Amino acid sequence: MTENRRQILDMLSEGKISVDEAERLLTLLEQPPSGRPSGSDAGEGGKTPPKYLRVMVEEDGESGSERVNIRIPMALIRSGVKLAALIPKQATNRVNEKLQEKGICIDVGNLKVEDLEQLVDAMADMEVDVQDGKEHVRVFVE
Amino acid sequence: MNWPPSLLRIRIRNNNIRFSLWLPLFLIRPFFLLAMVILSPLIILCAVLMWPLGLSKPLLLTGPILFRLLCSMRGLEIAVENSSDQVLISFR
Repeated sequence: MTENRRQILDMLSEGKISVDEAERLLTLLEQPPSGRPSGSDAGEGGKTPPKYLRVMVEEDGESGSERVNIRIPMALIRSGVKLAALIPKQATNRVNEKLQEKGICIDVGNLKVEDLEQLVDAMADMEVDVQDGKEHVRVFVE
Repeated sequence: MNWPPSLLRIRIRNNNIRFSLWLPLFLIRPFFLLAMVILSPLIILCAVLMWPLGLSKPLLLTGPILFRLLCSMRGLEIAVENSSDQVLISFR
């Protein structure tokens, strides 16, 4: 996969293909060979671990519609948790205090990658879909 | 193994600005590697000096974890738009 990606980038740098063509090829590379499995599809056959967390917000306001579409790689979340493990204990205590002041009772020092893996596995079959009048929020993994 | 993102795409559109940029991040990889090679003795020296304070382990681990964080940014995409403005940031 990485080799293919490099070939595309080489062709782009050599001017053999245009930027749009490179984008199209890179997008095709990111797609799995047999269609795009969504979170629910992944649970039917061989269960593939979700790769992305998607957050989509749509709002129809008076000044027109507003859309937010965020795709976060799961690997980024895992790395973030590992980074949190490096926070010195003094800083962790201060973060916990500030979080508690805001009413969030989470011990940042207790964040572990194993716990996150369990959460991610549980999220594979979950989809949050909230529709409130003009606002529509969807959170799911794919 | 995951590699750092090769391209960063930034697109900003509104009534006045129409801006699209592809940043070839793969071109800065050699410079990044060179900086790591140059800085690593300094980081090890700092780690030795900070050993009594107990900060050497976080200092030594910060580099690899930040690199892993960078690698895992491939596929990150943020798109915000309304009727007049559009912002897209995408790591590929």
